[in-house]
Amino acid sequence: MPFPTGTSRRRVLTAALLALGLTVAGSGCNSGSDPGGTPGTIKIGLLASLSGTYEAVGTEIRDGFELYLRTHDNKLGGHKIDLVVADEGNGAPTAVPAATKLLKQDRVHALTGIVGGGSVAAVAPVLAEAKIPFVGSNGRPELKDVARIWTTSYLSDETGAAIAEYVRDNVKGEVFTIGPNYQGGYDQLRGFTDTFKEIGGKLANEDGKTLWTPFPQTTNFLPYFAQIKASGAEAVYTFYAGGAAVDFVKQYAQSEIKDLPLYAAGFLTEGGVLNAQGEAARNIYSVLNYSPDLDNAENRSFVAAWKEDHDGSPTTYAMASYDAAAVLDKAIGAAGNNPTPEQINKAISELGQINSPRGTWQFSKDTHSPVQKWYLRQVRQDGRALSNTVVGDLATVGG
Amino acid sequence: MMASAAPVLGPVDPYLIPALDGVAYGLLLFVAASGLVFCFGVANILNLAHGTLYAIGAYTAAALLDGGWAMLLVALGVGVVASAGAGGLLAGLLAPVARRDHLTQALLTFGVALAGGSLLVTAFGPDSLPVRIPAALDGTVVLAGHRYAAYRLVFIGVAALLALLLYLAVARTRAGMLVRAAVDDADMVACLGVNPARIRLGVLTVAGALAGAAGVLGAPIIGPAPSTADNVLLLSLVVVVLGGLGSVRGTLLAALAVGEIQSLGVALAPTAAPFLLFAAMAVVLAVRARGLSGRWLRLRPRLGGTA
Repeated sequence: MPFPTGTSRRRVLTAALLALGLTVAGSGCNSGSDPGGTPGTIKIGLLASLSGTYEAVGTEIRDGFELYLRTHDNKLGGHKIDLVVADEGNGAPTAVPAATKLLKQDRVHALTGIVGGGSVAAVAPVLAEAKIPFVGSNGRPELKDVARIWTTSYLSDETGAAIAEYVRDNVKGEVFTIGPNYQGGYDQLRGFTDTFKEIGGKLANEDGKTLWTPFPQTTNFLPYFAQIKASGAEAVYTFYAGGAAVDFVKQYAQSEIKDLPLYAAGFLTEGGVLNAQGEAARNIYSVLNYSPDLDNAENRSFVAAWKEDHDGSPTTYAMASYDAAAVLDKAIGAAGNNPTPEQINKAISELGQINSPRGTWQFSKDTHSPVQKWYLRQVRQDGRALSNTVVGDLATVGG
Repeated sequence: MMASAAPVLGPVDPYLIPALDGVAYGLLLFVAASGLVFCFGVANILNLAHGTLYAIGAYTAAALLDGGWAMLLVALGVGVVASAGAGGLLAGLLAPVARRDHLTQALLTFGVALAGGSLLVTAFGPDSLPVRIPAALDGTVVLAGHRYAAYRLVFIGVAALLALLLYLAVARTRAGMLVRAAVDDADMVACLGVNPARIRLGVLTVAGALAGAAGVLGAPIIGPAPSTADNVLLLSLVVVVLGGLGSVRGTLLAALAVGEIQSLGVALAPTAAPFLLFAAMAVVLAVRARGLSGRWLRLRPRLGGTA
C-alpha cells in the first residue's frame, strides 16, 4: 500500500478540514401529490425545513398547518385543499428550487411556511414573478416589496422591544446583552437594546454594545459568563434558539452568574429545547407572542387537538402556521367561487381581526406582519414537566 | 450564594474559570480526537465519520442515563461497544477501497457520516436531548470564590486518567509497539507479516471505542444533537492538524491548546472569537508545518519537501 509522506498527509487533512467547513449538507426532496386536482380544489404549497438544522421548527410548521386542515374538514374557504409539501432544507440554496417547483410545476394558488429569513428573501423574487401570495409563518427578513408577502409570526426586532420596558422597571441596575452573530440574532438583540436605551435603561456591556458569540460553532459559553460576571451586571437579556439555547441555559445554571435573573426572547425555552434544558431552565423569564396555557377558546381547542397526536404542547411556530391556514381560510372564502391567486392576495389585505390561539390580531397595513400582544412567560412546574407559563401581558407591538 | 466580593487573585481572577474550563474542554477533545489520530496515523485512513462515532456515544448516554451511578457505568459500556462496533463496520466498508487514495476514503466515510447522522436523527429525533448525570455531580462547586460545574471538575480527573492509560498503552504494550511501528514504517510492518486488513479493523474498532467513551463521558459537555457529529469532527481535525500523528503527547498538547483557545482565548478577546481558533491553526501551520510536536516524523526518512 503506497503510504504518502507525513507532510502530504497533513495537506490532505487541512484540505479535508477546509472542505468540511465549506460543505453545506442539505437536500430538497419533495413529497408527492397528484397532479391536476379536481375542479374546486385549491392547491396550497407549504415549504418548510423537514431536514437539516431546522428540522424541529419545520416539522412544527407543517404539523400546525395540517392540524388546521384536519380540524376544518380539509377545507379552506369552502374549497377542498390539496396541500403540497416541500423541503426547504437548510436555507436558500435548497429553498429556491423547492419553491420554484411548487410555483411552476404544481402551480399552487398560495405558498405558506418557510423557516429561514434568508430563504424568504431568496424566494421573494420567484414569488413576485409568478404573482403568487405568500403567507409566511416564521422567517421574515427586511423586504422592499411586500405586496404579496404576509407574515403571521412577527418581525424579529419586536420580541425584544416588547419586553424592554418590563426589564427596565424590574431590574435594579445594568443589564448585560449577549446573542449569536447572525442576522436573526442581530435583529432580536437590536430590538431590545434600542428600545431599552431609549427609555433610559443602561447596558452593562463594555462600550454599550451587545456581546456577539460565533454561530453555530459556539458550544461553550463559560468564557462569556466570566465576562458578564466581571461587568457587574444585575441581569442578562439574550436570544438563542435550538442547540445553542440548550448549551447556553445548561451552562448558565451551573456558572458563577447563575443567580443573575435571565430574561430572553421566548425561543430560548420554546419547544423541544425546554425538555433538553430540564431543571436548568426553571424560572427563566421570556417574551413571546404565544404560550400554550393562554386562556381563550381558540387556544383551548387548538391545544387539545394538537395533543391528540403529539406528546408535548404546541409551540409558537405551530401556532403561527395554524394561523396562516386560518388567514387563507378567511381570504379564500372572501375571494369568490373560483379565486385566482391575485384575488386571494387582495382578500388577505382586506381581512380584519383574526381570532387566534394567541388572542386576536390583525395585519399591519405597512409591514404585512401582525399587530399583536406579547406575553411575559416564566418556566415553571406544570404537572410533571416544566413549561412556559404566562405571568403577564407585555406591550402590543407591530406595524 | 454570592461569591466573595473582592477578587482573590487580582487581575487574573476573571480568567481563572475560563482557564480551568479550557483544560476540561481540551481533555474532552483529546479523548475524542485520539481515535482520529490512530486512524490516520496507523491505518492511514481519513475517517470523516469519526464525529458520528462520538455522537453514537452521546446519544447512548442520553438514552440510558437516569441519574444513577450504575447506569453511568452501563451507558459507558454500551456506548463504547456500540461505537467500537460502528468502527468495525466502517473497517468492513473501507476494505474494498483499501488501496485507493484519501479522497476515496474521505468520500466514503463522509457519506457514512451523512447516512449515520440521518439514522441518529430518525431514531432520536431532531431535538437536542437531555443527559441526566448522577445527582452528586449535577451541582456546582466553589473554587477560589468562583462557581464551577462539579461534573466538569470530575471530568478533568477521569479524562486525565484516560490520557495516562492511553500513553502507557502506546509506550509500554506490545499492541502499542505495533502501533508505533505502523506509524513509522507501515510497509515494513506489512513485510513482517502483519495483515493490513487486521490492523485496519483493530485500529477502527479502538478508535470507535475511544470516540464512544468520549461521547458518553462528554455528553454533559458537548451533548447529543444533530450538529454534534460535525462539531466534534471539525474540532478533532483541528487537533490532528495541530498535534500531528502518532504521538499521544502531541495530540494532548494540541487538544489542550484548542481547549484553551476556545475558552481562555475567547474570554480574553471575545470580539475575535469567530476566527480565533483558525487563526491560531494558521499561525501554527505557518511556523511549524509539522504541528506543535514534530516528533512523530523522527524515525521516518524525509521523502517530501518541507512544505
